[in-house]
Amino acid sequence: MRRDLSERTLGILLLAPAALLLAVIVVYPIATLFVNSLYGVDNANPAAGEQFVGLKNYATAFGDERFWDSTLHTVLYILVTVPASLVVGLGLALLANMPFRVKWPVRLGLLLPWALPLVFAGLIFRWFFEYKTGVVNDVLMRLGLEPLPWLSDPNLAFAAICIAIVWKSSSFMALMLLAGLQTIPRSLYEAAEVDGATKWQQFVEITLPMLRPAIFVALIFRTITAIQTFDIPYAMTGGGPGDSTETLAMYIHKTTLDFLDFGYGSALAALMFVLSMAATSGYLKYTRRSSGRSGED
Amino acid sequence: MSEVTLTNVVKAYGATPVIHGIDLAIRSGEFVVFVGPSGCGKSTLLRMIAGLEEISGGQIAIGGTVVNDLPPRARDIAMVFQDYALYPHKTVFENMAFGLRLRKRPDHEIRARVGEAASILQIEHLLQRKPRELSGGQRQRVAMGRAIVRQPKAFLFDEPLSNLDALLRAEMRVEIKKLHQKLGNTIVYVTHDQVEAMTLADRIVVLQSGNLVQYDTPDGIYNRPAAQFVAGFTGSPPMNFLPCRIGEGGRTIHLAGGVDLPVPARRVAECARHVGRDVVFGLRPEHVGVARAGDPSQAAVGGRVMLVEPLGSDTLALVRLGAGDGAGEMTGRFAPDAGLAVGQALPIGLALDHFHLFDKTTGAAIRGADW
Repeated sequence: MRRDLSERTLGILLLAPAALLLAVIVVYPIATLFVNSLYGVDNANPAAGEQFVGLKNYATAFGDERFWDSTLHTVLYILVTVPASLVVGLGLALLANMPFRVKWPVRLGLLLPWALPLVFAGLIFRWFFEYKTGVVNDVLMRLGLEPLPWLSDPNLAFAAICIAIVWKSSSFMALMLLAGLQTIPRSLYEAAEVDGATKWQQFVEITLPMLRPAIFVALIFRTITAIQTFDIPYAMTGGGPGDSTETLAMYIHKTTLDFLDFGYGSALAALMFVLSMAATSGYLKYTRRSSGRSGED
Repeated sequence: MSEVTLTNVVKAYGATPVIHGIDLAIRSGEFVVFVGPSGCGKSTLLRMIAGLEEISGGQIAIGGTVVNDLPPRARDIAMVFQDYALYPHKTVFENMAFGLRLRKRPDHEIRARVGEAASILQIEHLLQRKPRELSGGQRQRVAMGRAIVRQPKAFLFDEPLSNLDALLRAEMRVEIKKLHQKLGNTIVYVTHDQVEAMTLADRIVVLQSGNLVQYDTPDGIYNRPAAQFVAGFTGSPPMNFLPCRIGEGGRTIHLAGGVDLPVPARRVAECARHVGRDVVFGLRPEHVGVARAGDPSQAAVGGRVMLVEPLGSDTLALVRLGAGDGAGEMTGRFAPDAGLAVGQALPIGLALDHFHLFDKTTGAAIRGADW
């Protein structure tokens, strides 16, 4: 009995450093954020500074058209770029998994977009889509087509940003899926080949089902980063034209750092946190259910 | 008809040849086992028959059709892999039905054929399970079931029992043999285990470093080995070897340490052709025992017991022939009640009707005219 107790104490002691670290770098900032979201500056008496305002900031947010617009833009980016980067990333992973004699060019091509800073990628694509000097319009004109106002038309700007995000995020998808692909034993493909499966049937019957856990993890990661989309639209359009390409993260950034409204910015950030949690728990619920049912090891 | 014919089959990885021109004719319905130590090319040869490995030269024909350029799925073969290669996300039924489903067989036929194979292998109760819910032996059966339902021209087995424990291996060996007797298909089977090869095969292919050393029945492999390598690979324990010289007129075999063995009359002519030559003398453990007075089939030699290994049914003992260092050591198979003790002096009887001679450099058997 005494030994049990001391083992318990030892266990707690061993866990303590990790728990403490987690508290300092995760729990404390989030708690601070929620506390901050309950404060605000009273416009009638600005000299009094930040005051406790309760849930007023949240009420403001729900009535704020720009909050809803930027949230909608964010959701649209998620809906377009997450599936697109999954498809592109899967293609890249399959390519990188092929038995090339020299593997490094493919691996390098795979890693490069991932290694580039996001802002840098945004600037590259902004230059690509530039109206007068951009590569894209140059190609269009050489093909005898009209140049398009890529970054000054709301729909075209949205499309251009999506292309940049997919280019940037596909390599991370590909890396995760490549790791999954490499765990599939070669003998399964040989067995399928002897059984009579064509390459396409092997892909559908072996690769995809065996890759499902890796696909789910990649989707969770990609969705969470997509909710936070900021750098690429910030560098390419700054949220314009108008607010047509502004994401929630960009709106939070503007509210907090440009308008210096920390309370309202914190409330918006808290709402984004809830959105992230909802998306993550949705995925986790689905993976748990499906792994319980089909049981891949 | 489902004979498998290999004509001068060659395999090289880059400039490194690994299979050196193999000719082999496997008859329809025959159970042929490829055996050899690891790295001898037996699995590569099997995978070339399956089409999983390209051949660098020669010709492979299955059921009269040259299959050199056909993919595995067009060769009408089924394969059982060493790690079973069951699809982990499919049930046992789906695993077995997969090949038929790909060939667009109607549903009722798939169900009938899977059901029949499952009943032969006694795995009907496992059909709805996933592979990870099965034991090693059950997975092995499913892998065989997947091969059976296809009703192919030939079954290819790649070391199918090497992942099982000894007891289960012996049990599955019997199952595989029964299966072959029941279905009568052509089977090509790879193993490094000579006991599996001896017990299962109609004929055995012994491979060494990519060369076919001997292709013969188990009896031929055991009793008439074509090379010292084959003799040293079969039997447990394998054949004893000692250096020797053939004496005047082929009537005596001189071992080291002054030990001379009289050549039995019926083998004198054979030995007479090699007088004065340095060769290797081979004798299986079962032909080494306690000398019985007045037994003309034996040559008695003084010896000493160096090591005793009781097996229960009989006892193996390492004995030294002659005095001092003598002619060297041999393992003999003795009766369990022989009462052997280490260090004990013992008259050893060698059944010299059964000795083998091998060339000292090439290892090739030196054969008599009666072979």
